[in-house]
Amino acid sequence: MKVDLELGLRDVPGSLISALSPISDLGGNIQSVVHQRGAGGLVGVKVVFKIMDLESLEVISNALVKKKIHVQKIQVDGRKYYTKRTLSFLFIGHVIDTDIRDTIDKINEVGLVSDIIVNMSDPEAKSAVIMLVEFDDRKYKKIMTVINSISREKDLTVVESIE
Amino acid sequence: MKMKEVRVVIVGFGVIGRGVLQTLREKQGFIRGKHGVNIKVSAICEIDGSVISNEGLDLDKVLDKPLNKNKFWTDKKTRDVIINTQSDIVVELTPGNIKTGEPGLSHILTAISAKKHVATSNKAPFAVAYKRIMDSARKNKVSVRFEATVGGAIPIMNLMDECLSVNKVESAYGILNGTTNYVLSQMSDEGVELDSAVKEAQQLGYAEPDPSYDIDGVDSAAKVVILANALLGMDVSYEDMKVTGIREITPEAIDLAKKHGFTVKLVGDVLRLEVSPRLVSVDHPLNVSGSLNALMLNTDVAGDVTIVGRGAGSRETSSSIIADIVTISKEL
Repeated sequence: MKVDLELGLRDVPGSLISALSPISDLGGNIQSVVHQRGAGGLVGVKVVFKIMDLESLEVISNALVKKKIHVQKIQVDGRKYYTKRTLSFLFIGHVIDTDIRDTIDKINEVGLVSDIIVNMSDPEAKSAVIMLVEFDDRKYKKIMTVINSISREKDLTVVESIE
Repeated sequence: MKMKEVRVVIVGFGVIGRGVLQTLREKQGFIRGKHGVNIKVSAICEIDGSVISNEGLDLDKVLDKPLNKNKFWTDKKTRDVIINTQSDIVVELTPGNIKTGEPGLSHILTAISAKKHVATSNKAPFAVAYKRIMDSARKNKVSVRFEATVGGAIPIMNLMDECLSVNKVESAYGILNGTTNYVLSQMSDEGVELDSAVKEAQQLGYAEPDPSYDIDGVDSAAKVVILANALLGMDVSYEDMKVTGIREITPEAIDLAKKHGFTVKLVGDVLRLEVSPRLVSVDHPLNVSGSLNALMLNTDVAGDVTIVGRGAGSRETSSSIIADIVTISKEL
């Protein structure tokens, strides 16, 4: 099956190799790589490759997410397979003290925390943190389950954005 | 135009009840001229008694002094008046208990069983027993209209019935409580704590002495239940709702949101059956300030339709209640 993969890569040495390695590791036959410098420091890259089955593609997709590579779109044989969705979440509470690294890691298991903005007026007081979270549109429920679980476990109030 | 005479019984004579009668007194001539309907109030019921006149009460006299000083005052109870007074429409305006729907639920079901049409602003009976009320209305072949239960003066149900009648509503969400919207707007504009903003809302008459019904999202949730049943054809009650209020929202959180192009609003999401604080982009149609309400309807033909208006206030709410009375009157 033919896969069209659109990525947004950071403009640093090695990022293209890093993005392509999961494809070749899983036996993907890369046919073309076209890249275009875009806004915001990201380089748009379109990779076309052939692969045996959807299971392999799922592994590639997860590997790219783990590498914090922005996967913008995946088409399989010309049909949409993955659509990126981005939501902002405002966390209110002791967000830093309840191990913000752990919070981010848990969210990154399903999606990608691509930006974090913190407001800490007083170390003793509740802080406020906005996280920009990117994820596969089909994984919305899973993302919400993870975030609601973090909210309960760490006693944080979560305010989700309306698209 | 042939004039149609319609008799109504008003149940509940608090702020909303008085507001309805004041607007009716002001607009009676206008309604007669525009709609050919002469609305006569044949009874007004309160907890301890009622004023009744089959000829129609003098609204000036009713409004100018306490109800129990009126010459038509009797100790007849509401149920008796609903069943036995000559009337076409019962206008139910009592405050409701969100857990039981009472006393409005009994008043409405009694009216329907007595073959009286109903217009109401009372959310609680519909949040508890929407299907039961509407099934009973169908069985007894009477109309039940409840535009004022959600969004005060904003036409939602009537908009869907008339202007958007070919549309299916796919989702709906909005700001359904003016008090919380005022409080969050003040926190955003003035940087004050929630308690200070609530106190200010109380001083201005936007919030009740006990603001928990608004602040904890209960009022918004009751409205979401009504919209879910009426617009999306669900069969749900208040117990199906997931409700989070605004108590945990801090000025620092609002400030952070503001700096990054968002505002925080208490949003009722009908498809999700949820009320919760949400981040709303500053250029989103739901970013209305002060005590305004706003509802975004996602429809299959017309697309997104957003309506904004006054969600509370006795005069504003009377606009919807009297519109329902006129609509029912035209169908008689």
